[in-house]
Amino acid sequence: MADVVSTVEIATASQAGMKALGAGIAVGLTGIGTGVAEMGIGSAAVGAVAENKDMFGLALLFTVIPETIVIFGLVVALLLLF
Amino acid sequence: MLTPKKMSRLLIVASKDQLPPVIKELHRFHRFHIDDFIAGGRAGYEGFAIGTPLAGASEASSDLIKVRSIENTFSIQASDITSAEKRNNADLRAVIERELPVIEREVSALNAERSKLDAAIKDCEQKIAEITPFLSIPADLSLYSGYEGFTVFAGTVVKDVQIPEPAEYEIVKKGKAAAFMVAVVPNRQRGDVDRVLSDAGFSPVTIPAESGMPEERIREYNSRISELKANASSLAKRMDALREEHARFLVACEELLKADIEQAEAPLRFATTEQTFVAEGWVPSDTIAEISRRLTEATGGKAFITEIPISPHDTVPVEYNNPSFAKPSELFMDIYARPNYTEIDPTLMLSIVFPLFFGLILGDAGYGLILLALCFALRGFMKGEDGRYFLAVLRNASISSIIFGLLYSEFLGFELPWAPIMFSRHLNIGTKGGEGGSGPMIPALMIMAVWIGILHITLGRVLGIINHARQDHGEHRIKAVMANFGWLLVMWGILMIIWSMFAMPYMPDFTKLPVIVMGLNAAAILGAVMLVLGVLFIARDSPLEVVELPTIISHVLSYARIVAVGLSSVAIAMVVNYISIGMLIGPQLEHLTIIGVVIVVAGVFVFLLGHAMNTALGILGGGLHSIRLHYVEFFTKFYKGGGLKYNPFGLKRIFTED
Repeated sequence: MADVVSTVEIATASQAGMKALGAGIAVGLTGIGTGVAEMGIGSAAVGAVAENKDMFGLALLFTVIPETIVIFGLVVALLLLF
Repeated sequence: MLTPKKMSRLLIVASKDQLPPVIKELHRFHRFHIDDFIAGGRAGYEGFAIGTPLAGASEASSDLIKVRSIENTFSIQASDITSAEKRNNADLRAVIERELPVIEREVSALNAERSKLDAAIKDCEQKIAEITPFLSIPADLSLYSGYEGFTVFAGTVVKDVQIPEPAEYEIVKKGKAAAFMVAVVPNRQRGDVDRVLSDAGFSPVTIPAESGMPEERIREYNSRISELKANASSLAKRMDALREEHARFLVACEELLKADIEQAEAPLRFATTEQTFVAEGWVPSDTIAEISRRLTEATGGKAFITEIPISPHDTVPVEYNNPSFAKPSELFMDIYARPNYTEIDPTLMLSIVFPLFFGLILGDAGYGLILLALCFALRGFMKGEDGRYFLAVLRNASISSIIFGLLYSEFLGFELPWAPIMFSRHLNIGTKGGEGGSGPMIPALMIMAVWIGILHITLGRVLGIINHARQDHGEHRIKAVMANFGWLLVMWGILMIIWSMFAMPYMPDFTKLPVIVMGLNAAAILGAVMLVLGVLFIARDSPLEVVELPTIISHVLSYARIVAVGLSSVAIAMVVNYISIGMLIGPQLEHLTIIGVVIVVAGVFVFLLGHAMNTALGILGGGLHSIRLHYVEFFTKFYKGGGLKYNPFGLKRIFTED
């Protein structure tokens, strides 16, 4: 009987652990995705702004568009954890 | 309020002898945005030519260059000078011719003296650097030069060398660096020694043309340098005195000359014939009467002034028309783009919603107070208009952050004595331990964020409908308005379908409605109809837009960043507190030992550093994400921008008056 109780305990604990892992993976991978996406846009944007300062607003806009990806990751992680 | 200031197109025609008074009055009034005349550019202006500058332009330019070069030497900046009494233009003009050359002479003399001193100091330092290697060899410096039958080698070697007799040499090794060596070699042996030395990695140094022992020479040069430096500092004092004496005069001169040049060159922007000139431009509509009266007075009624109708192809200059509360937010509008003349100007909405978003993200009374203090501290350093605007925006944002901090019950990551009035964002980190404390209400917070998104985007689309209704014409107008309405229908349709399937807190619950057909209830059917209708409206305007449909979901969900970014800043604050409080209290305070004291100091350090970092992240996170929500999610729904900045002829006088 004691064995059954501890098995259930282990199962719940590992479930919680899996959730935490999932949350971590969600944020981490989406972070990488955003980073990769912003890499190209960011360098081009800096180049454009160096040529013409008026481009700053537009450049910032384009650069932050992939931010949404990591926000989705964060949302998923938060929903998993709480 | 939600549109730019109303402008009128003004035409001024007069004979050429009225040019100076007209230009002077326009410059003084500082409201007339000149539409530059381009030869052959405008219909109806055949036979007109660009005017010629008024007399005195080149003299004023050369004087201005003089003034600016003097200001440069003294590093005087107009923005640094405060509380100067205004000087009368006529008085100033009378003294410029007399005083400017005198000041210029003084300054250039002082400048020459200063560069001479600088050069002398450099020279002495150079000499010291040359002598320094020889310090290790106690020989008179005059012994190294002046031979006919011998050659002197001096320099560093990386390897040990053996130079055969009869040469004399000395190697001084210091630490691990290359050794310094001096060798006196008879001329006939020179080739051999050269070879030996180059094998040893010899690099020569200059032999100083000096006489006397090295230490003495260095001492002498050092005393010379301190003498020169004393001279230089007394010179700097004299320059400071001169700067103090003339700074006000110089900035006033600069302003006067700049105004003179602008006025003298104004005819280059007008259309002229042999006898007359025509100036076209824009003024705010409410100043027409005033400008007409002033011009009539200045010319004695000899100028013809009339308002001409605005044609749809005119680029009307855009001046914001906002209440003073919203003015600072114009900074963020100009970063994106100035509104078009016919467009809705969202500055007011931005100025209200931006601080709200900022507060929702960085809702912490402690950080809010830090930012507020920072605003007041920076006030002395950021004097320009942009700087003042930025600080005003930051001030509003930090006040909102304090208010939301009180609502969230957060102070530097600690709990305030009351339970959160709004949704709790307290995480179960460290001391909170999970039991008893209210954990974060993530689902509720998320739904709040989504609601904000839905409402903000709906507002954006409604503004889009208004903009299209105002700007477009004919068939396209109806289509564009319908398309915007279609986007709204699709969004709300999707929401209806979701609400009919899932019951969610803080959202309408349609799951209980009776099923009508195929397991769908009334709300679901209504939602589906709205969705299909919406897609049809969008496709009618532009079928390509249909591929953009998923952005409806991604844009609404994007507002979840309000919660996510905010929670991450709460988490950092709580982790910092957990670590530092652990270091501060723990066992250290009970049995105070030396190591305990060190740990307590380290704890204080972690606390300060962590919260400083989190404040910086909070500005970045709160500011950048709030403004991004406006730029990407809100403005893309209705805002085009690209208007011409209203840039009236004249300048803001600070140091001079008529």
